[in-house]
Amino acid sequence: MHDLDEQQWRELLQRLRRFALWLSREPGGADDLVQATVERALTRRDQQRDAEGLRPWLFAILYRLFLDGKRRERLHARWLSWFGHAPDEATGNETESIILAQADLEAFARLPDEQRALLLLVSVEGLSYREVSQALDIPMGTVMSRLSRARAAFRVLAEGKPAPPALRRLK
Amino acid sequence: MTTLIPTEQELHAYVDDRLTATRRAEVESWLAANPQQAQRIDAWRSDARRLRTALAGLHELPATAPLDLSRLDRQLRHRRRRRFASAAVLVLALGLGGFAGWQAKEATLQVDVLPMADALQAHRLFADTPALDIRASAPAALQAWLGRHFSRVGELPDLAAYGFEPVGARLLSNEQGPAALLVFEDGGGQRVSLFLRSPGERFERMPSGERTEGALQARYWSHGAYNFALVGAADDARGERLREVLGVSL
Repeated sequence: MHDLDEQQWRELLQRLRRFALWLSREPGGADDLVQATVERALTRRDQQRDAEGLRPWLFAILYRLFLDGKRRERLHARWLSWFGHAPDEATGNETESIILAQADLEAFARLPDEQRALLLLVSVEGLSYREVSQALDIPMGTVMSRLSRARAAFRVLAEGKPAPPALRRLK
Repeated sequence: MTTLIPTEQELHAYVDDRLTATRRAEVESWLAANPQQAQRIDAWRSDARRLRTALAGLHELPATAPLDLSRLDRQLRHRRRRRFASAAVLVLALGLGGFAGWQAKEATLQVDVLPMADALQAHRLFADTPALDIRASAPAALQAWLGRHFSRVGELPDLAAYGFEPVGARLLSNEQGPAALLVFEDGGGQRVSLFLRSPGERFERMPSGERTEGALQARYWSHGAYNFALVGAADDARGERLREVLGVSL
């Protein structure tokens, strides 16, 4: 990580933030995720691979942290309901403000976590299937079948919600 | 022209540009001959492109202070030092815990090597106090704390069938790690508590067992990632049954 120049580092961080943002769908949570990811990477730098492996490795750390966070949220909801509290309203989808400008992303935001993570890594970050399998810690076969499901699901959601004209012009 | 029919996997690899040049050409000609499939593949590709376009604005993300690697490095080292220092602090009692926390610190200083002695101590100190801090105090702090320390607890126990309702919980931590005391009460005001914490160095694989101390009885066991102890009145006949139920449900 220390081998990257400032420009590369900045870009890598932005990529992590984008991944985190569209995983967590909360700007605040995304920044925390990225920070935690970098911290963990620093404490485990002895595991750091070559420059090429760095990106998938960081995505892997971030994804794991995200899943841990989800597990904690579920646990917390259980505790609260166990003690007679109604669980909090499902944490508001704070990406709404971001999405307003890009209504097309609404369909994407509604995909399940694992499908969003996969499409982000494959279609947006351009990771190879092997890198994705490492980053998400799933076998290659699962990457492929999940990709198939994710694309189909995204298709259905996107069709139900046609892209606004403003976005069409971008194509 | 005959080409091997591409598999679903290959079609995805085609969209993601992960095929060899030869295979790519073959798939292309197959698609040309299969317009229906071609339409499906086109849709995937345009979805991917739309997604990329919509998310392309790296620089449109709300700005935050960029992470400075060397500063983070220093912070991490600092935090590690502080963690060593705070190993001396035996008890952290959250919520209303100022004075009780101090008492608990005194109590944990006397912890001997008996298994789950701290569970008995915790029960004595907290089971009957109104100062249980899980219910109203600070859900956010609780969430953070619980999440950090007890992320691997399974389903929480339901003892309603045995007449016990949850009253509250107290969060503790001693030199063996973080712990929680969950307190239950029956219709007659009788309280039992369930103590859980990560295995410490001393009792990493704690054998199941039970021990009576004064009027209290502790039944303890390990399961999954945690050590558990059920503490209640020694003369309460329901103890064994509760212990069995908890052993199954946790």
